[in-house]
Amino acid sequence: MLTTALILFPIAAALVVAILPLPRETTAGLALLAALMEVGLWITAVTQFDFDDGSLQLGTTREWVESLGISYSVGFYGFSLWLVGASVVVFAAAIGYALWAGRERTRAYHALMLLLLGAVVATFTAQDLLLFYAAFELMLIPLYVLVGVWGGERRQAATVTFVIYTMAGSLLMLASVVAFGVTQGTFSLTAGETSDNVWIFLGFAIAFAVKAPLFPFHGWLPLAYREAPVEVAAVLSAVVSKTAIYGFIRIGLESFPEPADDLSGLILVLACAGLVYGSLLAFRAPDLRGVIAYSSMAQMGLITVGVFAFDDLGLDGAILQSVAHGLVSASMFLLVGMVERRCGTSDVDALGGMARGRPSLTTVVLIAGLIALAVPGSATFAGEFLIMAGAYDQGWGYSVVVALGIVLAAMYTLRVISAILHVEPGRAVRKEALDLRPGELALVLPLLLLLLGLSVWPAVVSQSAFAASTLAEILP
Amino acid sequence: MDGPDVGWYLVVAAILFGIGALGVMLRRSPLIVLLSLEIMLNAANLTLIAFARQHGDISGQIFALAVMAVAAAEVAIGLGLIVAMARRGMLLDVDQASALRG
Amino acid sequence: MTITGAWVCLLAPLAGAIAITLAGTRISRRTAAYISTLTTFVAFGGALVAFLGLWATDHGDREIVSTAYTWLESGDFRVELQILLDTLSSTMMLIVSGVGGLIVWYSMGYMAGDDEERRYFAYMSLFVFSMLMLVQAGNLLLLLVGWGLVGLASYLLIGFWHHKPEAVAAAKKAFVMNAIGDATLALALVLLIWETGTLTYLGVFEDVDGLSTTTVNLVALGLLGGAVAKSAQIPLHTWLPDAMEGPTPVSALIHAATMVTAGVYLLVRASPIFEAAPDVQALAAILGAITLLVAGVIALVQWDIKRVIAYSTMSQIGYMFVAAGIGAYGYAIFHLMTHAFFKALLFMTAGVVIHHLGGEQDIRKMGGLRGLMPRTHLAFLVGALALAGIPIFSGFWSKDGIVAAALADGGALGYSLYAAALVGALLTGLYTFRLYFTVFRGEPSDFVKEHAQEDHGEGPRSMLIPVGVLSVLATIGGLVAIPGVWEPFLHWIDETVEPTVKATVTQDYATSAVAVTLGLVGFLLARRAFDAGRQLVTGPAVWRVLEHKLYVDEAYDALFFRPAAALSTALRRNVEEPLVERSLDEIGAGTLQVGGEVARAQTGLLRTYAIALAFSVVVLVVVFVAVR
Repeated sequence: MLTTALILFPIAAALVVAILPLPRETTAGLALLAALMEVGLWITAVTQFDFDDGSLQLGTTREWVESLGISYSVGFYGFSLWLVGASVVVFAAAIGYALWAGRERTRAYHALMLLLLGAVVATFTAQDLLLFYAAFELMLIPLYVLVGVWGGERRQAATVTFVIYTMAGSLLMLASVVAFGVTQGTFSLTAGETSDNVWIFLGFAIAFAVKAPLFPFHGWLPLAYREAPVEVAAVLSAVVSKTAIYGFIRIGLESFPEPADDLSGLILVLACAGLVYGSLLAFRAPDLRGVIAYSSMAQMGLITVGVFAFDDLGLDGAILQSVAHGLVSASMFLLVGMVERRCGTSDVDALGGMARGRPSLTTVVLIAGLIALAVPGSATFAGEFLIMAGAYDQGWGYSVVVALGIVLAAMYTLRVISAILHVEPGRAVRKEALDLRPGELALVLPLLLLLLGLSVWPAVVSQSAFAASTLAEILP
Repeated sequence: MDGPDVGWYLVVAAILFGIGALGVMLRRSPLIVLLSLEIMLNAANLTLIAFARQHGDISGQIFALAVMAVAAAEVAIGLGLIVAMARRGMLLDVDQASALRG
Repeated sequence: MTITGAWVCLLAPLAGAIAITLAGTRISRRTAAYISTLTTFVAFGGALVAFLGLWATDHGDREIVSTAYTWLESGDFRVELQILLDTLSSTMMLIVSGVGGLIVWYSMGYMAGDDEERRYFAYMSLFVFSMLMLVQAGNLLLLLVGWGLVGLASYLLIGFWHHKPEAVAAAKKAFVMNAIGDATLALALVLLIWETGTLTYLGVFEDVDGLSTTTVNLVALGLLGGAVAKSAQIPLHTWLPDAMEGPTPVSALIHAATMVTAGVYLLVRASPIFEAAPDVQALAAILGAITLLVAGVIALVQWDIKRVIAYSTMSQIGYMFVAAGIGAYGYAIFHLMTHAFFKALLFMTAGVVIHHLGGEQDIRKMGGLRGLMPRTHLAFLVGALALAGIPIFSGFWSKDGIVAAALADGGALGYSLYAAALVGALLTGLYTFRLYFTVFRGEPSDFVKEHAQEDHGEGPRSMLIPVGVLSVLATIGGLVAIPGVWEPFLHWIDETVEPTVKATVTQDYATSAVAVTLGLVGFLLARRAFDAGRQLVTGPAVWRVLEHKLYVDEAYDALFFRPAAALSTALRRNVEEPLVERSLDEIGAGTLQVGGEVARAQTGLLRTYAIALAFSVVVLVVVFVAVR
């Protein structure tokens, strides 16, 4: 029941927010309250969850379309619980940011955000392929509208690109869903049916590769991340991209053990290519958003390497890194948003020198940036190290590429930090630009505190992401 | 069962359908095209009823009634369109109404 | 009690850093400085307690592991937050917290009045914590954590004056070069995880014999990569001179006394691995020897007082690498300790001079400071004598021990290292006293006179007391290992890491005689050159090459940075923009074209459609009939 509540509560809240004719601030406040209550629901779920048990927990299963073998089936595994945790926290921060920034057409905006949250949770918990597909698609609709209506100057181009890429991926996935259901006789993911059909697997893999995005399916990424409202970009890179990782694990690895193994070489090479390619582009991107967008792509490549390392180190590392990167990229995007609000641009050349006289901004940007570049001792470092160690199993070259990724990450992240904070003030930085306000701190600090906590004790995620029996099922 | 064999009905229906189809394809007056369409529909109705009688199943007749209803609606719209065309002073020639060319 | 002391030592500076950060502007700058100094001295107290406790323990039991909790876990692999207290780590704890405490105290005077003093002291505390984490870590991953965190603190402190572009660039350079070392270190750990299943020192060292030669060599190379980057040895040395952009106490603490010697600590700590990979160990010694020569030569032509000392640091760490590379671990750590004393002293006196002259670092503008700053002059002289290895002073005992060990090691490698070390001794004398004479002797320059008139004394007490303490340590700190007479320091270290080479007493004293002579020759040459008013290096071509630091920076720029930047730009121009970002335009254009072709089928003639329809039905009927 709790899982269903986690899915339906934000959707119901979205309806309420959309219908009630409340003033702007009240509406946004109500949405934030709903997001915070969702976090509370998730905490309740954690307290009821038994991390040693590898079976589906807190689940609900109802027949839906009996004759086609479709059911409404939802529930949690350890790793999905952590992914949902990162999602609800990031959404709370994003909705809080929207409240702070104040968006036009407030009711529609917040209703869409809450709807998106419900769809994300549904994606992470769906145990039936058609339900998964429906949730996966439901995520896209609010995103299209959020980018297309509230985005920047080139929002239409961004939306069209995003729509075309994701629709292409979705159609392939739909074909694969149907093919899987027809050949296996059921759409249930819990029935333990596996398929050895490479083509069906490819349909899923491409859909996830677009969503992540993996190289070379990332054509929608630069525009969407640049043009979306900053909190939507945060949600895109922090949460929505992780549904691809979830899909790779829950469907790719569990339902297609053989094709996943056969194609792991190809996917690993693409993931590594994305890691290096994204890092290099991030290194020279002309604006902060571009840097974070491409670094996000690099990180998704890294996490995919962890997934397809096919061992417990890699998988645990992938989940830990997903959670950590979710929190850190959300913080970075929100911080860039705050800088943009002060300077009106995120051009690297036009910024700088904001450290002087702005201690809160300095501290927060430094902490977020240093965690983003995986300074040893941080949660991101723990995740990257596990992935690096796991990837060695598939070939030492992958570990070396991950190591190279760490060096490149240092280069592009330091560029971001310096671009905002250091040297003389840039032309867009006005002297009277304020330090972070308490309201802004209240948005970013919880994310950073969670990250610091996770850095002190990364094992809390890495050891409980997969129960031993789950791993035995997934790994060859 | 009395009366001719079902095959005869089918032959008649086929002939009717052929006349209707040729009418649609060859004539240029919209009124005649509409008329030919009616003939084709009635050919279909004839087969439906013939088979209904052969099988002793009433569903065929019900279906024929439904087709009649649809045909009536169609004629109403079609005639309405033709009247509208005439009122606007357009030539009553289907080949002239080619605004939907790609 | 013993182990509690160690935990207190580790956590006190962290508590200080957190307290200063959280308090923000609610506390005064002074208070932040006091918090930082106090917590560092608390750490020293903890280290002292741990040391004494260990001292009182029986010989065989001086190896205490204490675990707090499991930091990272995945499957069978787990890494615990644990500290290892043995003779080696307790010595390092004393050095780090002791010298660290003195330097943080010194900073109170040096940084007084800076806008962002609080931030400075938070970073300093963070650094001390990280460095203690590095030396106390009970497993290699935790060492890597400390390793990365000291690099981070170093980045923050080099770039402390963040409005200076050079400082920011130097900070980035230091961080990236260290990240390269971190990466190779991490790769070595990955290899160890798969080969031994554990990362604890004790577990790894037990299994090291069972590994294949290739594996051990690769692991050792990875560790060496980390050590070379952190200790600014050739070829990853270029960041250290630039790091002098940071405040002087930072140079003293991080870039002389503690962090840069972490590489030596790693070589000693992981000695079982290096002993299993003798080729790599020899490589460490060779890199050390090359560095000590090259850095010594470059130091001869630098004009920035801090850069001269920085090159001297590289050179001295080269000695330590030589010692660790041939297996004289005790002497490596011994030199690490004495070097921490006298080099911190030199930096701090240099800091007093810079402070006194209003931030000027160019020695061409200095001169004749002896009369104006007698106490500083004395302290600097003590540091210089210790650095040049003049008897009684601490550097003499430790450096000559290393040179003698190279002699005792023998063979082609041993003798080459011996020769290099002796040449290094000559160079040390030369550059040390060139600096000393230029800054302190002769007539006061106009620049100096101008500043001397302002007469604000030699500096606040918080600066002079630590300098005094370090002067004493730099003088007598070497008396804990007198060859053949009294060597408690070496015995203490040997308990944890057994040296593989030991010089005889004769070798020791013979070497000392030669080395001291060379040092004195260096002194005399420097003095004659100074008296004659000429430079030590003549010949403009040589000078230019040296002044450009052998063009290594330029070479790296051309070899790595520019290709990477060019590749990145090329990827953006040739792949990302045309192929990926414009892919949709292409798809759109393609779709339009196809649509145009197909549209011709739509004639708009009703009768054509009807005919097509009828024809299709006929085809379908034929197909169905045929299929049946």
